[in-house]
Amino acid sequence: MPALRVDELTKSYGQTLALDTLSFEVHEGEVFGFLGPNGAGKSTTINVVLDFIRPTAGRVEVLGLDAQAHSREIRSRTGVLPEGYQVYDRLTARQHLEFAIESKGSDDEPETLLERVGLTDAIDRKAGGYSKGMAQRLMLAMALVGEPDLLILDEPSTGLDPNGAREMREIVREENARGATVFFSSHSMEQVEAVCDRVGILQDGQMVAVDSVEGLRDSIGGGTSLRVTVDRIDDDALQAVRSLPTVSNVATEDRDPPTITAQVDGSKTAVLAELEDHGVEVRDFSTTEASLEDVFQSYTTGAEVTAR
Amino acid sequence: MSTEADIDTDTGTSRTGTTSSASSVNPDSVRAVARKDFRDSIRSWVFWTLSFLFFMLLVGTTGLLSYFGSDIAAQGQTTEALVGMVQSMTSLIIPLIALVLGWKSIAGERQSGSLKILLSLPHSRKDVLLGKLIGRSAVLSISLITGFVLAAVVVAALLGSFDIADYAGLLAVSILYGVAYTSLAVSLSSVTRSTTIAGAAMFGIFMLFYAVWNGLLTAFWMLMNLDYIPQNETTAQIALLFNSLSLNSAYQNVLSLVTSMGGFTDQTEMVLEGMFGSVPFYLQDWFSLIILLAWIVIPIAIALFRFDRVDL
Repeated sequence: MPALRVDELTKSYGQTLALDTLSFEVHEGEVFGFLGPNGAGKSTTINVVLDFIRPTAGRVEVLGLDAQAHSREIRSRTGVLPEGYQVYDRLTARQHLEFAIESKGSDDEPETLLERVGLTDAIDRKAGGYSKGMAQRLMLAMALVGEPDLLILDEPSTGLDPNGAREMREIVREENARGATVFFSSHSMEQVEAVCDRVGILQDGQMVAVDSVEGLRDSIGGGTSLRVTVDRIDDDALQAVRSLPTVSNVATEDRDPPTITAQVDGSKTAVLAELEDHGVEVRDFSTTEASLEDVFQSYTTGAEVTAR
Repeated sequence: MSTEADIDTDTGTSRTGTTSSASSVNPDSVRAVARKDFRDSIRSWVFWTLSFLFFMLLVGTTGLLSYFGSDIAAQGQTTEALVGMVQSMTSLIIPLIALVLGWKSIAGERQSGSLKILLSLPHSRKDVLLGKLIGRSAVLSISLITGFVLAAVVVAALLGSFDIADYAGLLAVSILYGVAYTSLAVSLSSVTRSTTIAGAAMFGIFMLFYAVWNGLLTAFWMLMNLDYIPQNETTAQIALLFNSLSLNSAYQNVLSLVTSMGGFTDQTEMVLEGMFGSVPFYLQDWFSLIILLAWIVIPIAIALFRFDRVDL
């Protein structure tokens, strides 16, 4: 049974199509990165999952239950860090946690949870004076109440400094190790690649790719980018390099000394050998891996991936 | 509240087939939301200011009565007079407080996004509405009770004859009156995500009962006097019925049910019997109580039905 099953989900607002027959599954026990640029439909999807909004067509199942018919039971087994929320200004962190604990009927201690997110100092301060990062930590603590089977984190890194983002990922790993499925939305690949088992990329209300982090990297064929500094550019040599089956995107940079760049899936030495066979002197070369950020960019902007 | 607690939207009318488990009312949830809302909406100074306001209202009125009202005191009707005078003031003040306390209750949370915190937890939307209604009603009711109880000592000392039943009766119907306005405020707050529109709606409600309702009635009588509307028993009945449906009239008329004051004089009763054969049911004080309760139940019932069906 998948932890989350989105089936042909469509949501339109008048003429605007926010989600277009979106389908995907999140497996039980995995950390799933839900990636897409702002406005791709990530929050709309999460809002349907939590029954904040109703689908135009299609359905969503969470923990094997219909998202609309059994929303209360779903939310009792789910921890949510929503996006675009505001904390209750006049309540302290402790009171926020007490409310979540009472609502879920769990026996957690506010202190323990706030310690996990590093907010112990502010436990009895009113949340109205919190920074965005502190509010985010508070909401993460509320999401952890009652050891949920599913954690839905909508842009959890918002407002967190790099250290806070790292701590947040650490908590995601701990929760996952406990057995929780984590559904983690973000507009930045950087935030998800370190922690997610699989990643789905959403663009204009449609899933354009779902794969493991490695699979995504491979699927782009980005492989390695090779950058060769040579003494001169020779058209025959370039032609020979282009004809190699494992090489793509061969380009030249007319600088001094001239440079040839190419995407290489296989052996790099084959490229160098080909150049030297044509009498081109290789003065220097370097390679770079295509980063996942590039992969993400290529899916969401339509640009071709070239490793840097 | 038990009427609403039984409401279940599993009617099949919802296109998406919402079932009871998601949209039902869970008393524990309602209590959790109400308690949180009470804690969040009540700044302690609001509570004490309101309590002090009601206290001063009672003590001040009593002071005036004991100073100027020797005739009234002589007739042993001081509590009755106090109830009448206080009621005419709370009739204006309670709606203002209730509307101000309630106008942002839902719209404000929707606008700011804090509603997402409430609804990420296992509460139904009905739980949230009822919890809000109870939480905000509690703020108003408890400050009314505090003001009345603290004032009772002073009032009893100042008044020649203190009738505790009348005094408690006024408090009881004032609470109902306040809850009715809170119900209107919370319900209207739930139909929009703009606090500006919600604020305009609060003003509209105030105007409805303070200007529009009476204005319509005046216009009706005028048209009747000018013979644009026939002057007969039916039209007179319609006008009187319309008048008694107003929340503010109900607050005034219900007093005779719970206190020793008011009610019809024998003369009025004779006139009414002469006109209609008997005093019409809608002019009797038990009917005012029903109207008062209806103004609590109907707005929130409509809001409960509607709020379940919208995108937040």
